[in-house]
Formats: sequence, structure tokens, C-alpha cells
Amino acid sequence: MALLLLALTGPAHAAWTWGEALTVNSAQGPAIFPHLESANRQNVAVSGDTVGVVWEDNRDGSPQCYLATKPETAGTFQPEIRLSQSECFEPVVVALGAGRFAAAWEEAGKVRAQVLPGGTAINLSEIESSQVTLAFGAGKLYAAWAEQAGRFRRIVVARLETDSGAPAISFAQPVEARDPTDGQSWPALAVAGNGSMTVAWEDRRERHTVPMVSHSRDGRDFAPPTQLTDLKNGGGTGSALGLGAGTGAMRPTLTAWGGQGAAAAWLDKRDFLSGYDVYAALDDGTHRFGRNIQVQDSFGDNMAQWHAKIVGDNSGRLLALWDDARDGTPDVWLSVWNGTAFGDDVAVPSASGPGLQTDPSATLDSTGRLHLVWLDRGDPQSATRIRYVRGDWR
Amino acid sequence: MNWIRMLLVTGLLWTSAVWADPPSGYPFVSFDAGLKAARASGKPIFLYFGRYGCAWCDHTNKKTFSDASLKALYSDNYELVYVDAESGRRLTLPSGERITEAELGVRLQAFATPLFVYLTPQGDKIVQIPGFKTVQDFRDYDRYVRGGYYKNKTLLEFLGGKS
Repeated sequence: MALLLLALTGPAHAAWTWGEALTVNSAQGPAIFPHLESANRQNVAVSGDTVGVVWEDNRDGSPQCYLATKPETAGTFQPEIRLSQSECFEPVVVALGAGRFAAAWEEAGKVRAQVLPGGTAINLSEIESSQVTLAFGAGKLYAAWAEQAGRFRRIVVARLETDSGAPAISFAQPVEARDPTDGQSWPALAVAGNGSMTVAWEDRRERHTVPMVSHSRDGRDFAPPTQLTDLKNGGGTGSALGLGAGTGAMRPTLTAWGGQGAAAAWLDKRDFLSGYDVYAALDDGTHRFGRNIQVQDSFGDNMAQWHAKIVGDNSGRLLALWDDARDGTPDVWLSVWNGTAFGDDVAVPSASGPGLQTDPSATLDSTGRLHLVWLDRGDPQSATRIRYVRGDWR
Repeated sequence: MNWIRMLLVTGLLWTSAVWADPPSGYPFVSFDAGLKAARASGKPIFLYFGRYGCAWCDHTNKKTFSDASLKALYSDNYELVYVDAESGRRLTLPSGERITEAELGVRLQAFATPLFVYLTPQGDKIVQIPGFKTVQDFRDYDRYVRGGYYKNKTLLEFLGGKS
């Protein structure tokens, strides 16, 4: 009986325990501006027992991309290495296992990728392109980016091989063969346990910004895209009155979840008076996303949320992170999926309190521990640090 | 100079068709171009922070910015900047920091569009005003900004004292 009670009450008593927060970036100053911005907000990965963090900053006089690593048990990050030679933006990193990483970024107007440590970077496209992201699962590495196609950009997906020192492109193709009729941007990828792949992106074909999603079993043949948002006729009342095309929803993020499924989270403006909210949708392996779910709790309702990120794993763990200023200054918040809803919002202790804590990016390692990075500033004029902390939910 | 203006307007129309929907016929430019122009001209900046498909932006464009005298007032006396609330296009803040247009919304703590921001020629914020506004509202804001009242009054104080 006692065991039964313990089993029933166990999840309710689960709590986060956090390690010591560490500073990642070695160069800081009032005129140095590090950024943790990327397609799918993918700035931290754990490969074997190595943690890798990528970001962009202007310490060298122009925006450049950097990678810092540390053994998971180490108390400090090793000095960062520069990934780029020309102006660089929005780097991402994924774990390939056994201490290897793949990183990708925009440099001089094109997207590039590199296997680390020690690999050589290659262009993923010779066409003007940006907002690259990566996903690795079931032994397959995919990249997606926004590439110029006539007046607009469209989403291109590529399969990459990483056996040699430089990544090689097995194939690359647009999600949709026809030219885009308006902008497509900010792709996100997830590779399920069976190797099938989900891609989401921001899309303006309906004359407002809507996250769209498509699924592919092999990365070559994509299902017709559908909207992630479940609002009818663009949402809101404006379009019915002939005003505007609809509400906005931006920066979709994706994660593989539960073996065969995927989960998405994004910023959603359907409540036009309270800024963007964090919304999520789940695909339990059917390749169809269900109803939209508001993530943040009612204490965050009247507050704009920013920088949403969904994180999951094959065991079914799932949580969303973002920042908002409900307590007066921006803090990093997270909410754990409990099987039926996202739970109460939790402020990450080392990423909350006085000052500005923003732009979370996170990943779950193979044992389910959360690795979180964010930007930390004492005030808007002070130097920005990239901070890292590891959390256990038990 | 006319051909330069024509070129700018043509480029602007193309750009607006691609990225967003500022009111038609106004010489709105990007954040960086507007800041550069303001530093050269000494004019304040009127920043329209809009969203693609935004109903209230559309309403403001149709009801308010369609007014010819308002168009002349703002076109002549401000550097007009349009920022797309969801765009990944990059801009450079006066501090030198490069961020996306969407990230500017975070810095402005924008919770609704349209959001109208008045800036000094150096790019310092004077006041920001969210939501639909009338022609008269914009005339009042113009007096507040170009009259220099913002230096010693809040906008509410200024408007409260309006006859």
C-alpha cells in the first residue's frame, strides 16, 4: 500500500535540483554583445560526456561564431574556438555522440556546417541562405535552412554524412518543389527514433506569419505542409472585418519526443493584448499534430513571453522554456509536460532574480538531465555573460 | 535628386511587398537607413513597429495614415522607419549591437502592434505608443516631440494640458 501511494504521489513531488551555474564566454564587456539566437534555438548539446555551446558575438569587431566545450564534470568551460572567418550569425550545434558535434551557421550570406572537433567547414548551399538548423537521430544527421528562391526564401532540407573530416551532403532539396509565394524562414527539425523526420518553419503564404510543418520518412519525400496553429481563418476578428490577414505565430521549435513522435512550441500572438504566448502541439507518432496547448500558466497570461524552446527525448520527457518579466525583470521559466498538460511554471533559480536573464536554449542528455544556457546581464548597460547550468528532475 | 527618390520609393515598395505592410506612399525605410538619415538630417525618427497581417496596423493604415496632411507632416519632418515585428532581418542599434527586427520587439517590451516609437536623431527613445491612433493623436504626438515638450513632461502630462 505504501509503495502504491509512493508511486501515485511520486510525480507530484518531483522537483528540480540544479548544479552550480557557470559562465561560458571568456570575452565580456559593455560593447561585446553575445547572442544565443538560432533556428530551433539549438545552442547547446551534450555528446558523450562533453557539453558544447555555440553563440555569436562581436568581440573581434564583427559578428563571429564561437564554440566552447567542457567535460560534463568540469567546473569551467575551455576557452572558446572561433568557427567563422567572415560575418557569422545564428550558429547551432547538435551531438553526434562520443564527444563529436556538428555545428552549422550563416557566414557571409551562406550556410555552413562543420564536424567538431577538428573537422573542416563546408558550404551547405552556394545560394544566398540563412537560419540553418541541424538534427541528429537514428544515426542520421539532417540540416535545414532558408534559401533564396526568386523573391522569397524557401526551406531546404539536406541529409549530411559525417564519416570523414568534413560533412558531405547526401542530398538537399526544398520541402516544396514549387517556388514560395511569400517568405519561409526559421526552420526547425526533429528526427524520430525510427529515422523519420519532421520539419517546421515560419511561413507567410497566408499573408500573416504561421508556423507550418511537414513530415518525411526519408528526408526526400515530404507530406504536404499543414499549419501548426489550429486557428480558423487566420485567427482573431480582424480578417473577418477585412483588416489584416490574421494573428502572428513565430519561431517554431521542434524536438523528437517519445520514440516515434515530435513536439513543437512557438510564440503565438492569438491574444493580441498580452504579447506573444508560448503554445505547443504534440505528435505522438501519427505524424499529425494535435490541438494547440497554451504552455505558460495563468501567472504569465498578461505578460509577453519570448524565446520559446521545446525540449524532449525518446523516453517521453518534455518541457518548454522561455523568458518573461512577470516578476519585474526577465527570467528564464520552464514548464514540464505531465502527460495531460504543461505544469506550473518554474523559474530557474540561477536564471532568475535581479537583472536580465533571457534567451534560453537547452537540451536533454541521454540520462534525462537538462542542460541550459542563457544570456545574463545585470542591467541593459552591463556586460553580457552566457551562463550554463545542469538540472535534474526527480 | 528626383531619380534617387524614385529609386528609393521603388525599392521601398518592393521591400514592403516582400516583408511587411507599412502604409503605402510613405517613404519608410529600414532601421539602419533611417538612423543614418536621421543623423545626417537632424530629424527625429518615427518608428512604426508593425506585424505582417496585423489587423490594427491595417486599420491604422486605412483610417489614419491615408490622411494626406498627416502624410505630408510626417514625411517632411521625420525619418520614417518600418520594423516588422516577426522579421529576422538584422538592424544595428545605436550601441553597435546587431539584432533582428523581431528582437527589437523584445527590447521595446512590445506587447501589441502597431507600436509607434519616436526617437531622437541619435536613436534614443523619446516615447512609445501602442495601438490604433487617429490623425489628431499623431498631430499631438508630433507637437510633443518636435516641440521638445518631452524634455520636461511625460506624454500624459502634455496631453492632459492640451486645450
